[in-house]
Amino acid sequence: MPELPKKKVGLIACSGEEIPEGTITRLAVRRVLESLRPQQSVTIWLPLFLAGGEGDRAFACFHPTIAVDGCEKRCAARGTEMYSGKPAVSIVVSDRAPTDSSELGSARRLSEAGMQVVNSLADQIARHVDELLGLKWDRRSEAALQSAKPQEDFKLSQTTCSCGSGIPVETLQVAGREVTLIGLPLVFAQFRGEGKLPSNSTKTELIETLRIYNPIPHQEEAAYAEAILQKYAAFCRRSN
Amino acid sequence: MKEKVLIVPCSGIGKSLGSVAREGAYIVTEELYPEQTRLMPLALLVLGDKETQTEVSSVGAIAIDGCARACAAKVVEGRGGRVARPLQVLDLCRRHPDLKPSGISELDEAGHKLAQALAVEVKALLDNLKGEVTHA
Repeated sequence: MPELPKKKVGLIACSGEEIPEGTITRLAVRRVLESLRPQQSVTIWLPLFLAGGEGDRAFACFHPTIAVDGCEKRCAARGTEMYSGKPAVSIVVSDRAPTDSSELGSARRLSEAGMQVVNSLADQIARHVDELLGLKWDRRSEAALQSAKPQEDFKLSQTTCSCGSGIPVETLQVAGREVTLIGLPLVFAQFRGEGKLPSNSTKTELIETLRIYNPIPHQEEAAYAEAILQKYAAFCRRSN
Repeated sequence: MKEKVLIVPCSGIGKSLGSVAREGAYIVTEELYPEQTRLMPLALLVLGDKETQTEVSSVGAIAIDGCARACAAKVVEGRGGRVARPLQVLDLCRRHPDLKPSGISELDEAGHKLAQALAVEVKALLDNLKGEVTHA
């Protein structure tokens, strides 16, 4: 059975080695990965878009991403959009750091003020992870609660898997127009493998799963749901 | 050396090897050869704007990779530079089996020692090129 990618958020730090803000992005992302949201986040390494395989470039097609840049050059955000998909969130440290750059320390060794920015930036990234995955967080137990309504507006609108990733997409008619959904065949195969029949409850599950990877406008949710369910019913008939 | 040689370290944040590459690059550019070298962030090369491409193709560059994926070398080449000799921390680890680095955000003692050893190798490379570095 094909395996669906887990619901995780990809974190891309610019890691700019020549400025302290670049170091801040790197350390903040590590903090999220190691301590704050280890189960909900993964890192994507920007140079792998060029040096790696298709899988690296495909990631942002299939997962929401957060680009964390040190300066206004926004290498992480622009590079991700150029080679993979538009980041759902773009943060620039130099825009938000309350401290003058010279007080952050050096790129090699951050000052105490620089480390404070690391911590607040990591908290900000963690909040964005929660929003993108629709998670509520129990601050006392430091554990993720049941998924709340997944956020639907992370922007995958420019990702059609023309990246050559091989991630299957499928086109269907929604409200009289063609819509391409990323990962639809994988989702169908997984649901079918779990024995889920085409029903209203399955319809709800399908739409909730697919909206993690595809922008589904609220006002068109019902139309999407109907079209997806019909497609799923046809898929189940074919696979009988 | 008329122009500063670009030192392009791995920018990985998933392994200690990347941190060693980065620390080694800082030692070279800040302590050993501050007047002759300049650190070039890999992310800037990934974007490949015209100015950066021109610089990397006209000025000498030493790519220091963490692992065999060799992203720094590949990106330098992809942007018009030429890597004549690969330099990888993974190889360095084989030459120094007693040093097993750990830590990413903060390298441990072995990691710092390995970074020092790396910097010495880069320095030797620069010295061997006797001021006529085009690409390494």
